[in-house]
Amino acid sequence: MRLSRITLEHFRNIPLAELTLVGRQQFFIGQNGQGKTNLLEAVSYLTALRSFRTSDQSLLIGHGQTGAGIAYELEHELLDDTGVTIKLRPQGKEVTCDGEWVTKFSEYLGRFPTVVFSSQDQQLVRGAPAFRRRWLDLTIAAMDTGYLQLLQQYHRAVLDRNRLLKSGATPLEFSAFELPLATAAAQIVQKRAANVKVLSGYVADAYTAIAGEKERVTMQYQPDLDQTDTKGWTAVFAKNRGRDQLLKTTSTGPHRDDFDLLFGRHAVRDYGSEGQQRSLALALRLAQVNYFHERSGVQPVVLADDVLGELDQDRRKRFWTALGFDCQVIATGTGFPDAELGDWQIFKVDSGQFTEIENRDSLR
Amino acid sequence: MTPAFEKLQKHLKQLPGLGFRSAERIALHLLVEKPERLPTLVTALLEAAQTVRRCERCGNLAEGGPCAICANEKRDRSVVCVVEHVPDLVALERSGAYQGVYHVLHGKLSPIQGVGPKDLNLPSLLERIEAGEVRELILALSNDVEGEATCHYLTQHIPIDRVKFSRIGFGLPSGGGVLYADSVTLKSALDGRREYR
Repeated sequence: MRLSRITLEHFRNIPLAELTLVGRQQFFIGQNGQGKTNLLEAVSYLTALRSFRTSDQSLLIGHGQTGAGIAYELEHELLDDTGVTIKLRPQGKEVTCDGEWVTKFSEYLGRFPTVVFSSQDQQLVRGAPAFRRRWLDLTIAAMDTGYLQLLQQYHRAVLDRNRLLKSGATPLEFSAFELPLATAAAQIVQKRAANVKVLSGYVADAYTAIAGEKERVTMQYQPDLDQTDTKGWTAVFAKNRGRDQLLKTTSTGPHRDDFDLLFGRHAVRDYGSEGQQRSLALALRLAQVNYFHERSGVQPVVLADDVLGELDQDRRKRFWTALGFDCQVIATGTGFPDAELGDWQIFKVDSGQFTEIENRDSLR
Repeated sequence: MTPAFEKLQKHLKQLPGLGFRSAERIALHLLVEKPERLPTLVTALLEAAQTVRRCERCGNLAEGGPCAICANEKRDRSVVCVVEHVPDLVALERSGAYQGVYHVLHGKLSPIQGVGPKDLNLPSLLERIEAGEVRELILALSNDVEGEATCHYLTQHIPIDRVKFSRIGFGLPSGGGVLYADSVTLKSALDGRREYR
């Protein structure tokens, strides 16, 4: 997939921008707070109709405006030339794809893959399990809408059960809600286990390509409880009721899952060097790119938010080679990218205004 | 606007489906544009409030005594279709495909919204079953977490073996092809397939 044109209206600090993107490498240069990341946010919104920075949609709408709009023109492997428009309101949004309303999110998800690389990604290696769980869930759900529905069912049932734990309820009421909870839990654990096995290969390959080391990384699923059977989960939730009532929350379940990233038997988080951890964070994103590409047949667009500058030159080159030449990369930074890494189309970003720079020297 | 008008508007706004603007429009319509409609509306409201009751047997709307469906001798009383709300019953009736009787729960279990078993129309369902004329319960509740939980609750709450429980099917809409169905619907259609030959 290649984004050939994007139009933004009242999106964050961008009053109006119409950008025609030529080729497969775009670079947005500017000081902090000028709107570089806002542009990447608008591009990535296409994928799952949500922002990677906030869950509060009203923040995406420019100050004093009643709504915002984004229009995309895309060259797509499966759909040929495609246009998507998104209108954002403080409550809700309207999406059209080639002039037709998109009403079913489950149909839409996964069609237009993008992957954001950001400096926050180191949390995937070092941070709390929630960061890794989110990475895993988004990766699986983008290619499997049934999984998304399972997650929604599970979280709803957890909310219901937690409410029962707080307000008190009869065993019959508990068991009524623990059944859909257990059904979803069993299937989530099965799907996560199967997908981690597959993704582990993608992550290991990506790490080897970026770090240039012989050592292989492996991913190992660490379920809170290794239980893949609905009856088993039903028994667990029933058994935990007493303890959970004291804690006033569902203490055990797939919402506490994690996965380990290992060199041999050692966690990269504890044993890896700073550089190895940084490479691994990149590898997790690169693995998403390759996984989405192979699963859907659509090459994702890479959105690199101020990450290229943090890499040393060798890693940067290897990262570039690993991405391959078919992949569109839209990057941001405060300084110019390496000229040897290809032919960048460069835009200067200043207070939400974009100006294409024909000649690098004009900015110096 | 006057205080009385604002009070009326406030009460209208509390009705389901009405926002501030719609409430204002209705209030203006009744007071200024078509005041002649007001007395008939008020009479209709009062009359309905006095006569419309829940059917003691099934929870459907009725005017004293059993509802029209429960009173109908031709309906099969051994089959009871359990629904969440009266409009669900109306939809099933409109299909004309069902000859049994109903039981309206007036909701589903939802701890998040504070709905527990006490808030549902359950005692009369138990009475009907204990009276012995019910052979099958068709659970026509929605297939979200709360609907499933309510179904499961009913199966546990009614531990009487002679009653058969069935769950309404979820799958492809009639006249619709496989091509246009979303993947989640297709999955439940496949899961709910039945023997054909």
